[in-house]
Amino acid sequence: MNRHWCLKLVLATAAACILIPVALILVWSVTARWPWPDLLPVRLTLRTVRELFLGSAQLPRLLFSSVALAVATAVLGTAVGVLTARATELYAFPGKGLVRLCGLLPLLIPGTVFAIGIHLTLLRLGLADTLAGVLLVHVTVALPYCIAIMGDVTRAVGAGLEEQAAVLGAGPLRAFWLATLPGLMPGVLSSMSMAFILSYSQYFTTLIVGGGRVRTLALVLVPYIQSGDRPLASVYAVVFVGSALLIFFLLESAIHRMERGGKSK
Amino acid sequence: MRGKWKILILLAPLAGVTALVLAACGTVLLQSLGYVPAFGLDTLTLSYYRAVLGDPAFLQSLGVSLRIAATSALLAAAAGTAICAALVGTGRTRGALTYLVRLPILVPHAVTALFAVLLFAQTGLLARLAFALGLIGDFSQFPQLLHTAGYQGAVLSYLWKEAPFVAYFVLALMAGISGTLGEAAENLGASPLRSFFTVTLPLSMPAIAKAFLIIFIFAFGGYELPMLLGPTVPKALPVQAYLAYMSPELRDRPYAMVMYGVILLLSVAMAALYGLLTRALWRKLGGERP
Repeated sequence: MNRHWCLKLVLATAAACILIPVALILVWSVTARWPWPDLLPVRLTLRTVRELFLGSAQLPRLLFSSVALAVATAVLGTAVGVLTARATELYAFPGKGLVRLCGLLPLLIPGTVFAIGIHLTLLRLGLADTLAGVLLVHVTVALPYCIAIMGDVTRAVGAGLEEQAAVLGAGPLRAFWLATLPGLMPGVLSSMSMAFILSYSQYFTTLIVGGGRVRTLALVLVPYIQSGDRPLASVYAVVFVGSALLIFFLLESAIHRMERGGKSK
Repeated sequence: MRGKWKILILLAPLAGVTALVLAACGTVLLQSLGYVPAFGLDTLTLSYYRAVLGDPAFLQSLGVSLRIAATSALLAAAAGTAICAALVGTGRTRGALTYLVRLPILVPHAVTALFAVLLFAQTGLLARLAFALGLIGDFSQFPQLLHTAGYQGAVLSYLWKEAPFVAYFVLALMAGISGTLGEAAENLGASPLRSFFTVTLPLSMPAIAKAFLIIFIFAFGGYELPMLLGPTVPKALPVQAYLAYMSPELRDRPYAMVMYGVILLLSVAMAALYGLLTRALWRKLGGERP
């Protein structure tokens, strides 16, 4: 029993360390005055919330473009993940190790180097400083996670049901759509959730490849943090984490519903 | 033959992405060798490497970045493994706590920098607590943790974000091993502690080592945290490189690219070393490569 007490202490410490900073930005985001050495703010305000909606950052537009970009990254990244995983998990072919390495490559090369290097290529392709260019780079950054997640579920689901469907006369696309995809869905949603988060929090890649034309929440957040205006920086951080959490939980509850649905059948 | 075409079609998007990544690396390396035709530089030379590698400021930046990467990855791997072991040991591998552990994965690095400022600045929450407890009489007596040459702020921020990542990354594997082989060891009379350290932990090592590698490479090339929490000197390598990249003197571009080239080459070397080590280890254990 002694052991459990010790493990619980580890978990409690971890939980406290994770939650305290999050609680702290919630308090700072509505703080008007918090002089040294007080432990609590002396005056609260809604100035920051007003600034959020009426200020120069144009929050609704910013939220919309960031979410749209991240959703597009999630869909594209996961689609590529599904295709790649199908090839590596369901087929035998020479050079599979090399293919796996290609899938890991964006993880092994720092995003900063990739962003700087790809900028020139995108300039030649006419994609620099465009949303499409930023999307392409975000998909690349997210891809190793999408491939890993889709690889796991594809291996677990296998090709059995699809082959039966084909024997019964379904075409290959129809067989995949009806027989395999439902089984892959929990993985598809996990992969989308991971790719969404990665795109949503990209800073340096968006800065370089977007050239200031593509504005996202993660991008405008940084100058506020640099400015030293703690309440304003905090309110933007709260909006960022809150919106990310919201989408994360939407996807997560969809996964749960699906897993429960799958079990009851 | 139809199967072959199918595989090629399935792999085409990945091939496209790989081409982009390789093009990016190629550009960085070519420009670091002094080949930037757009700026009238068209001879390959190692002189930029020689100049940058001989610059004490560069060596200091390289040292800073290697130190940030190594300490962040080491601390995060240790703390993350402890959290993971605690989750497995108390049977909480699903449910509310695992969601809490995933929370830092949703938080971008810039926000963790804000956390560090609000907590560790000399007027931050910890300093206020220390004052309230009578440990310090004035905020200037609180140790400086931000904007210092030791980069404590950046390392602590990486730790906050990446330790839960390690825990989550290792959780499925460790839970599986603990539930099967770990349990078997305990049934054969091993104490839970012994079973953990001789069976579960060693077998979880591949995942822990992979997480270490991912964090090391990320922190080594990371820009936001050292930019937001570092001192003016010494700058971390990615910050120094970006400064050189933004230089208005365009013909200085190869100097920036040498710094990016060094980040690239060392990251790839780390990954290759990891690959070789795991391969050797697997051969030694007589197992098949996973």
